[in-house]
Formats: sequence, structure tokens, C-alpha cells
Amino acid sequence: MSATLDDAVGELLTQSLMAWRVVASVERTGDGALVINGTRNTVRIERVEHAIFRWMVTADDRQRGAISLVAVLRQVREALDPGYAANRVRIAVAALVPSQ
Amino acid sequence: MNANPLPVSVLTGFLGSGKTTLLRHLLRQPGFSRTAVIINEFGEVGLDHELIEASEDSLIELQTGCLCCKIRSDLSQTLADLLRRRDEGRCTPFDRIVVETSGLADPAPILQTLMTDPAVGGRLVLGSVVTTVDAVNGADTLEREAISQKQVAVADRIVMTKLDLAAPAELALRERLNALNAGALVIIVHHGRIDSGALFNAGLYDPCTKSTDVHKWLAEEAQGYAHARHDDVIKTYAIVREEPIPAVALTLFLEAVAEHCGNDILRLKGIINILENPDRPAVIHGVQHVFHPPVWLDRWPSEDRRSRIVFITRHVPQRWVEVLLEAIGQEVADVHVYQSPSQQPS
Repeated sequence: MSATLDDAVGELLTQSLMAWRVVASVERTGDGALVINGTRNTVRIERVEHAIFRWMVTADDRQRGAISLVAVLRQVREALDPGYAANRVRIAVAALVPSQ
Repeated sequence: MNANPLPVSVLTGFLGSGKTTLLRHLLRQPGFSRTAVIINEFGEVGLDHELIEASEDSLIELQTGCLCCKIRSDLSQTLADLLRRRDEGRCTPFDRIVVETSGLADPAPILQTLMTDPAVGGRLVLGSVVTTVDAVNGADTLEREAISQKQVAVADRIVMTKLDLAAPAELALRERLNALNAGALVIIVHHGRIDSGALFNAGLYDPCTKSTDVHKWLAEEAQGYAHARHDDVIKTYAIVREEPIPAVALTLFLEAVAEHCGNDILRLKGIINILENPDRPAVIHGVQHVFHPPVWLDRWPSEDRRSRIVFITRHVPQRWVEVLLEAIGQEVADVHVYQSPSQQPS
């Protein structure tokens, strides 16, 4: 993983916790993993090289693969924010402008 | 898609803010004559429609409840019936629809209904959102009523009314409106007198010229990208990217925004430089977690080829949105590096 992405992910997790108003801290461990210590749970996020699931997220002693950062965020929030109910994108049937 | 879709606009504003007075004057104007009006009244006995003079068959009253929470299906049904009557020549011809909401209505679910209803989706395009705010009570109402703030935040045009009764309030009210929605043009009217063209031409698509005006729609000059505007709750800001954005990164970004903050995205508008198609910008628009399919313009409307996304949110931090787009962009770039032949594992 590039150092740039490495930094971006740590910052994204920190900012996400603030946006979700979840009290937790983000730390990087010696082996390069990111660990989020929340009030009710701890989540560990590891990068997996050369695999379909680019990330492994461990919470409640359960390890799950995540294919993208969006999936990582979803798993982290599910683990730390018990009241969370995800919205799924809906695509409007009405166009913004008429088709040509 | 119908070749001549009708623009449907929303006229909203808190109780007593002057929506009906405005509508009365608009309906007397020749330029507004080919307009069907749907009035949503909230209460046992509707009165607003009694105050409106219009041909009976182009004025429809929805009286079973508040549009935003109870009768969204009624709105869909009414729109479908209206279009059927128009097709069959059973009503006065009209080229535009205006939905006047009740004063207590949350406009976001109404916009969502207009965007997602399959019964009318191919026949309509989203026009303007016009919000009335009265100078006498507007500031107090905005302080007290979250719905009033939301009505202002999603507007393309804000109509300030009753200024003849409270002229000294103008400056403070303007500042408050600007904090809630810097992108909306504020128009002052006296006793409802205003040119309809000034109100209902603020959508992306102009049915008269059959063209789009992204610059006007994004209200870029009013927005001022360098300065995020916000009050305690509503935050308006723009994200600007110099580099083109890969299509997959944009998709993932919007998915994450909708998933985590969908209810708090009051409105999102943008023009995007897509990496795979840099000569044809994509225009995006969303209300909460509902998004229009991107509109691909034939060309850039100006020399400015930066991606710009305007967010009007409730409590969604700008920093989070910026970092999210940055991180997703980095991940997509990382995947592309990995997929290039020289980077494949042996």
C-alpha cells in the first residue's frame, strides 16, 4: 500500500468517527494495522496485498474481508455505532434533463 | 423519455410566509397561464385554494394531510392523473406544474417523490424550488423551526415577502438566509408582485431554450467556493478538485456519502470532470440518498474544467467529505497501479 493511501485511510477513519459522533480513537500499530478503540468495541483494520478483499476488518473476534474503503467504513460503523442504519443510494427515475 | 417533459417546481415556505399571495399574483400573469397548480393544504378545511383564482381544471387541492409525510402517494397519483387529462385533452393545456406545499412540509421527501415516482418519472423534469420567507416573522421562524431552515436550505430561489411591514429587518434576514443557503438568489416581492420568469427558471434544464445552464444552476458566483457558509445546523460548502475523478471513485464516493449521511444531505449539486471522459462533464444532483443519473453535457460550459460539488447539509462536516473523496481516489489509484503489468505479483 502506498504511504499516501496509508495516511489517507487513517485520516478518513478519524474524520469519520467525528462525523458519526462516535467516541473512539485511531492508532497505528507496529505491524501497520489501524486499530480503533471505541467505548464498546475495538476494531482492527489490516491491508491485504494482492487479494480481492483488499482489507481485513476484525471486530468482536470476527474477521471479515472488505473489498474497498467504502466496505471498511460500513463494517467499522456497524461495529462501533449500534444505532446505525445505512441508507442505500436510490437512483431517480426522473431525469434531470430530457434525453436528446 | 418523453420528448417534451414538463418542468415541475415546488413552492414552499413556512406558515404565513406568503406562498398563496405569491401564487395569486403569478396566476394572473400571461406568462404563468399555462401552469397547473397543485395545492397541498394541511387541515380539515382547506382555505388556500379558495383564495386562488384559476381555471378549475388546472388547480388541484390535496387536502388529506401534509405532502411530506402522509400523502406522497397522493401526489404521485395526482400528477399521473393530471398528465393523463392533459394527454386526453380534458383540461386546459399546461406547460408547467407548480406544487405548493403546506407550510409545515419538509420539501426533501417531496423532491424525492418527484425524482423517484415511476408513474411520472419519464414525463417530468425537476424545475425550481422556490421558498418564501416573510420579513416580519421569518427570522424568528428560522430560529425556532427546523423545517423552515430546511425549506430555505434546499431552495433555488428565496422570495422575501412583507418587507413593507418590516423593512429594517431586511439586512439581518438576508445574512441569515445567506448563512443557510448562499447559492440561492434572494428576491424581494411586494404584495406578491413578481415576474414568474424570475422564479421558475432556476432548474438545470430550461424548457424554453431546451438547454442547460450549469453555471446558473450551481449558483457558483453566489456560492463563493473559498468560503463555506453555515449556521449552527445547516452547512453549505463546495468541494473542488483540480484533477479528473475516475468514474468508479465518484460512484464509491456518492455511495458512501448517501450511506452514512444520506438523511443529512439536503441537496447536492455538481459538475464533474470524469477521468475516462474528460471532454464531457457529468452533472450530478441528489436529495438525501436519492440521486439523478448523471447528465453528460456535450461540452464544458466554460474554461473551468475543475470538478465542483456543492453540498447543502445538516451537520455533515466538510472535512469528512473532502477526506472521503481523497481516500477513495487514492484507493482507486492504488488498484490501478497494482493492476498494471509491471506491478503484478510474480
